[in-house]
Amino acid sequence: MSTAVTERRDSTPSAAGTPVLDVKDLVVRYGRGRKAAAAPAAVDRVSFSIAPGETVGLVGESGSGKSTIGKAILGLQKVSDGSISYQGKDITSAGPAQRRALGGELRAVFQDPNSSLNPRNTIGTSLAEPLRLRGLSPAEARAKAEDMLERVGLPREAVDRYPSQFSGGQRQRISVARALICDPKLVVCDEAVSALDLSTQAQVLNLLADLRDERGLSYLFIAHDIAVVQFLAQRVVVLYRGQVMETGPAAAVTENPRHPFTQALVAASPVPRPAEQAARREARESLGVRTGAAAVPGPGGCPFRLRCPLATDLCATERPALRRVGTADVACHYA
Amino acid sequence: MALFVAKRLLMALATVLVVAVLAFLLVHAMPGSPGAVSLGAGASQDAIDQLNRQLGWNDPLVSQFARWLGDAAQGNLGVSLIDGRSITADLANRLPVTASLAAGATILSAVLGVALGVTAAVRGGLLDRAIGGFVGLLVALPAFWVGIIFVYLFAVQSSVFPATGYVPFEVSPQDWALSLALPVITLAVGGAAFIARQTRASMLEALQQEHIRTLRATATPTWKILYVHALRYASLPIVAGIALQFIGLFGGSVIAEQLFAMPGLGQAVQTSVSTHDAPAVQGVVVIATVVVVAVNLVLELATKFLDPKLRAS
Amino acid sequence: MPRPGRAALTRLSRHRLLGSPGAVAGLVWLAALVIASLTAPLWLPFKTEDQDFTAVLSGPTAAHWLGTDELGRDILSRIFAAAAGTLGTSMITVIVGVGLGTILAMLAAGAGERTETAISRVTEVMMSLPGTVIILAVIGAVGTNIPLVMAILGILMSAGIYRVILGQAKSLQSQLYVDAAKVDGLGPLGISVRHVLPGLANTVVVQAALIFAVGMLIQAGLAFIGFGPPIPQPSWGGMIQGASQHVYDAPWMMVPTGAVLALTVLSANAIGNALGKAPNAAAPHLPSAADRRQRAKAVAAIAAAARDAEETGDAGTDAGAKGTLSVRNLSVGVDNAGTGTGVQLVTGVSFDVEPGTVLGLVGESGCGKTMTALSLLGLLPSGVSATGGQILWNGRNLAATPDKDMQSVRGREIALISQEPMRALDPMFTVGYQLTATIRRLRGMGRSEARAEAHSLLEKVGIVDAGRILKTYPHQISGGMAQRVAVALALSGRPKLLVADEPTTALDVTVQAEILSLLRALVKDTGMSVVMVTHDLGVVADICDQVAVMYAGHVVENGRTAAILDNPRHPYTLALLAADPHANHADSMPERLATISGQVPQPKDWPAGCRFAARCQFAGSACLEPVPLLPSSAGDGLVRCVKADQLAIEGMDWLATDVPAGRLLPVSPVSSATPEPAPEQDSIVEKDLA
Repeated sequence: MSTAVTERRDSTPSAAGTPVLDVKDLVVRYGRGRKAAAAPAAVDRVSFSIAPGETVGLVGESGSGKSTIGKAILGLQKVSDGSISYQGKDITSAGPAQRRALGGELRAVFQDPNSSLNPRNTIGTSLAEPLRLRGLSPAEARAKAEDMLERVGLPREAVDRYPSQFSGGQRQRISVARALICDPKLVVCDEAVSALDLSTQAQVLNLLADLRDERGLSYLFIAHDIAVVQFLAQRVVVLYRGQVMETGPAAAVTENPRHPFTQALVAASPVPRPAEQAARREARESLGVRTGAAAVPGPGGCPFRLRCPLATDLCATERPALRRVGTADVACHYA
Repeated sequence: MALFVAKRLLMALATVLVVAVLAFLLVHAMPGSPGAVSLGAGASQDAIDQLNRQLGWNDPLVSQFARWLGDAAQGNLGVSLIDGRSITADLANRLPVTASLAAGATILSAVLGVALGVTAAVRGGLLDRAIGGFVGLLVALPAFWVGIIFVYLFAVQSSVFPATGYVPFEVSPQDWALSLALPVITLAVGGAAFIARQTRASMLEALQQEHIRTLRATATPTWKILYVHALRYASLPIVAGIALQFIGLFGGSVIAEQLFAMPGLGQAVQTSVSTHDAPAVQGVVVIATVVVVAVNLVLELATKFLDPKLRAS
Repeated sequence: MPRPGRAALTRLSRHRLLGSPGAVAGLVWLAALVIASLTAPLWLPFKTEDQDFTAVLSGPTAAHWLGTDELGRDILSRIFAAAAGTLGTSMITVIVGVGLGTILAMLAAGAGERTETAISRVTEVMMSLPGTVIILAVIGAVGTNIPLVMAILGILMSAGIYRVILGQAKSLQSQLYVDAAKVDGLGPLGISVRHVLPGLANTVVVQAALIFAVGMLIQAGLAFIGFGPPIPQPSWGGMIQGASQHVYDAPWMMVPTGAVLALTVLSANAIGNALGKAPNAAAPHLPSAADRRQRAKAVAAIAAAARDAEETGDAGTDAGAKGTLSVRNLSVGVDNAGTGTGVQLVTGVSFDVEPGTVLGLVGESGCGKTMTALSLLGLLPSGVSATGGQILWNGRNLAATPDKDMQSVRGREIALISQEPMRALDPMFTVGYQLTATIRRLRGMGRSEARAEAHSLLEKVGIVDAGRILKTYPHQISGGMAQRVAVALALSGRPKLLVADEPTTALDVTVQAEILSLLRALVKDTGMSVVMVTHDLGVVADICDQVAVMYAGHVVENGRTAAILDNPRHPYTLALLAADPHANHADSMPERLATISGQVPQPKDWPAGCRFAARCQFAGSACLEPVPLLPSSAGDGLVRCVKADQLAIEGMDWLATDVPAGRLLPVSPVSSATPEPAPEQDSIVEKDLA
């Protein structure tokens, strides 16, 4: 397997214009052999890019392939087709050595605060691991770890404690510290706040927003909760069964969705104001989106067609391409 | 499902073949040529060489194995170097002894083990701890030692059971059962303890499943939750545990047969290894493997059948 | 730098070992045996081959403490002379078997599916071999070379060890911290050594102890049938074999060697079991008979207390109208055998649910919502029970009702649906079986009638192809479908009250909306009432008529949903709403969300005063006193805050930035806005006000 990091000269050369991350026609299939080839891909020709300092939200329900995309970018999932480039360098199939060479610029925060820190290592050891891999001395790494803990709002003494001595929200802040300790440019947040309670979720979201503003970070923020994405992201990519349904500015996509699926998704997300929620519920019920329980569409065409109120025969035969509707790009023949 | 069975059959066949090859190589590494073993210590080197030639000992290993395999496929495992008996006929006589022993011990340990394990898990408290201690003791006791104690208690002190020997079923079913009693109990002690532990752990795990709460929330009677739903859920690892015990007990019969002077496969292995009777060792290893692999296959299919997830796929 | 990790591990192991008297005794025995056998030449009273013809087959005497054998050899001397060899060669099996098994498991877990399949196939074959017979064949080939034979035994046993360790190695490989290390660029070997192996250490030690025991037994067994060490050398198995020849005339001979062997095996097993004990296994959903007896006592105590109260006229069972659930002053606590009650998890919870209405129990995790809900059905987990108060339902106090009498309530009057629909259904039975069995039991219907009812119930919960779903097993349907089935199951006894414990939390939002619509329709059609546990204020707004906000085990605010969500009185409710990104529109999305510093205190750390004070922006000295649930100034709700009225008048909002607790009343400022780590949480207010 060739894992050379190749310079991409065909892309636009201007430094400011180079996206931090560029995903092109990404395809991921699980399994091997004929059976896997026949099954629908977990991620099916997904393209998007993230500009420096930009936060892109990746939204979808379970099985939409959103976490698979994150894993593919982080090198945790084999890519079947397409390409992923980081700052113009192709990292589609980079091995551990190349990952290390990325210099800790591409980092991750995962969902479950209980398993994202090794319970047998002290916080200090966990935080130092990426630094030690880049050749820092133990003393330097420890000092940096203490600084970083302080920045995420934890006492410096926490370096000598174990994960079990912290609450879920505190552990997630430690995970953020671990991701940011090598001054990354891009952080992939995979459901980073969905296991947390409301009040701690807000703490971590604020922290992520502060750090972004402070350091000019880019985030790929993967979540199932469109309101959480809305808080943090400038742009949103909406996925359904591995395909992009709609992508555009966060406000446009979440407040004025064009794709029937995005409309259903936004309408289904309840708000804590009874009168408004009653109105939203009526609006949702009038959308006419069918239940997804038994609807497994065959290959080809639009993956949402079996639930879609607008679907026609065309939707079964031709996969709609993304086209500009208002300020967003929408993959629907009729939006 | 049919494909699955076919795959497993093929794998079982491959297992037997691999063991046959290994056993063949092993007996070839045994000290002394077959001629020397057969003719005994006083034989002349010429006579030994002559017999070795006759037996094909100097042929290439591959052709020797091919010959053995061809014969074995037709049910001929060769003749003993010591007394020239047909190994096939000898093992055919011995197999029922060991099979009765192993099957009896497996059934007894399964019944006792499941009963003890379920009781411990279901009753809890003091009884659970008492059973736990008792089972821990049984696991630690060497089977042969337990066997001797049984002989002392039931055959020497009070002659309830015969101390040694085996009576074939055809001769007298009653004496057959009596002659098996002590060896079967001896073997079952350890087996029952292992199965009891497995059962207790599996039952407790089953009772931790959330669907048990659903059953309680719909007023399912306690006995039905325990013995229909929880036991059903626990049955997969329990059956797997029983399968493992059968393999262990089949091997354990070597000791029981020696202890109780029973003419089974175990005794055959022991004597043929002691006397360097190569073809006999080879034969008994292969036959034992065939039996164990076959029973294992049946139990594995039973496990698959018990699990709706596997049955569906 | 794995040192701290290893230190922590040994600390843990040591702790668990010392916690078990059996394991401690085992360690002492093994250590004594090793020392005694290594120093044997120095102290043994006889040489192993010394024959005392004056005392053949003797029992214990002053000269021969453990007696003599048929040649008059001293049994004590022979046992200890044989010990070193037995223990040493058993260690060979341990090292080969556990080493090989562990390496194979780590390889299979780390190197991908194909490698794992290959290794697993080989080990399956190895496990289905008659090991003893093969070992004997090996002895035939190599003779009684015990170390070599024990090494080959180790290879044969490695398959079983691989199977045990593989599951754990795979689960360690799937941990997110392994993913994080991969993102760092740590290679497969580094991950195995730094993250997987340390996690396996305990299991490996457990397996080593158990294999050590098995190795000793097999070795003794081999010696017993004549394949022990060469003749003059003593071995335990050989000695028992010798003793077995004299079971008629000298039964004593069996005892010493057998006891020493059994004790040694027992010791190794005890150590292994103590180490292998799961530190905190989940509680069973059906408690053991012993635990049920314990529970019955607690219930009887509540019943007695209720009777006493009735006699003194304190609290009449003022049961409301039929079909109304009235929870009065309910408390739930951890059982504490012996010293009365243990830690309280829920205290003084009261609420009413009228027929045809939905009550929401809302709050963060650890606030006692689920415990409250489960107590309504008497289905609290093992080790936890209702410790006081009343659950009044149709003239009965369910908190004081014995389990067997609850059977007539469960399913028929009060039903349950829970968070994980997949796990709530029995994976071993079809949907059809589970539904029909329940319908037959709860409604007394015949088989075919129940079958038809199951079909119509599934249609009622919105399943189109009910016929097909009836034939499926739970794993064959989606989560949303499974939750519909669970609702159908709950409806099969035509309950008057449905307890729904986070019924949509595990589902996608579009499916959540469908299930909520279904529940709303069912409430409307059947007139049943619902107690809905949720942490999602949006779900409350969608479906609940009434809401009780719970914090740290008690209700802090309750009343009509619209009143509370639109006009919250308690600072906690205020803060929850301010922290919820769903409460904002894209155009009004704030730069920062409001947060609540710290976290919900553990039940054992609840202060006597307001439990929220330590995290409250408005806390003051009045909050140190216990706060009662008082009528709120607006509406018909109740609120547990001494400042509720003041806050309402001043129109105070929960600030979006991290504000130290107690901004309303002048209290000396906390050192910084940074939330303190957990243990110091609760002392903030007390410290400042002391």
